[in-house]
Amino acid sequence: MTNAWRAAGITYIQYSNIAARVLREALRTELRADAAKRNESHVKFTPWANGRPAPRQNQSES
Amino acid sequence: MSIVKNARLLATRGARLAQNQSRRNYSDEMKLTFAAANKTFYDAAVVRQIDVPSFSGAFGILAKHVPTLAVLKPGVVQVVENDGKLTKYFVSSGSVTVNEDSSVQVLAEEAHNVADIDVNEARQLLSKYQSQLSSAGDDKAKAEAAIAVEVAEALVKAAE
Repeated sequence: MTNAWRAAGITYIQYSNIAARVLREALRTELRADAAKRNESHVKFTPWANGRPAPRQNQSES
Repeated sequence: MSIVKNARLLATRGARLAQNQSRRNYSDEMKLTFAAANKTFYDAAVVRQIDVPSFSGAFGILAKHVPTLAVLKPGVVQVVENDGKLTKYFVSSGSVTVNEDSSVQVLAEEAHNVADIDVNEARQLLSKYQSQLSSAGDDKAKAEAAIAVEVAEALVKAAE
């Protein structure tokens, strides 16, 4: 499986992300806005110290 | 009391496992699970045939298909239900698994009924990404645009 994108250092996960995004962009107008929400994913980190979530200022630092 | 009950449960499960192992033949029915992050299309539903696009080529799956693993390519998945009804879906990417018991899992990152694709939008995207490809500077940007062009081409082809 020698693809040009693989040679350029793109993984299948990244390939998949691009493919999914383009598919969402090509949907009928009424579906597109809702689908676009899946273009981004968010991860929230909460650092823990001594069995408790650390205070907020620590959270923003990390 | 509960120990006795658990032991009995374990015993039945063991017997069932043994039965499955001795049976180990291919099933006449094909159970399809087809899901994407946006929707579940089939959940262990019995279907007649499935055609999938993969990096190792497009292929059709009927019951008793040899166990297979493949990586999905952007394109059209066709599902023929038991009553002969054909439905086309566009998948972005993902994986397809064909198991020994004739169960099939098609897992996609994004999948939609082909009817939900806006063909004009797809054409516009194709020309947008084509110009992005020609103006791309480095190899990575070029490769990313090429992927988008490939998907847009498949979308136009599917929606026309």
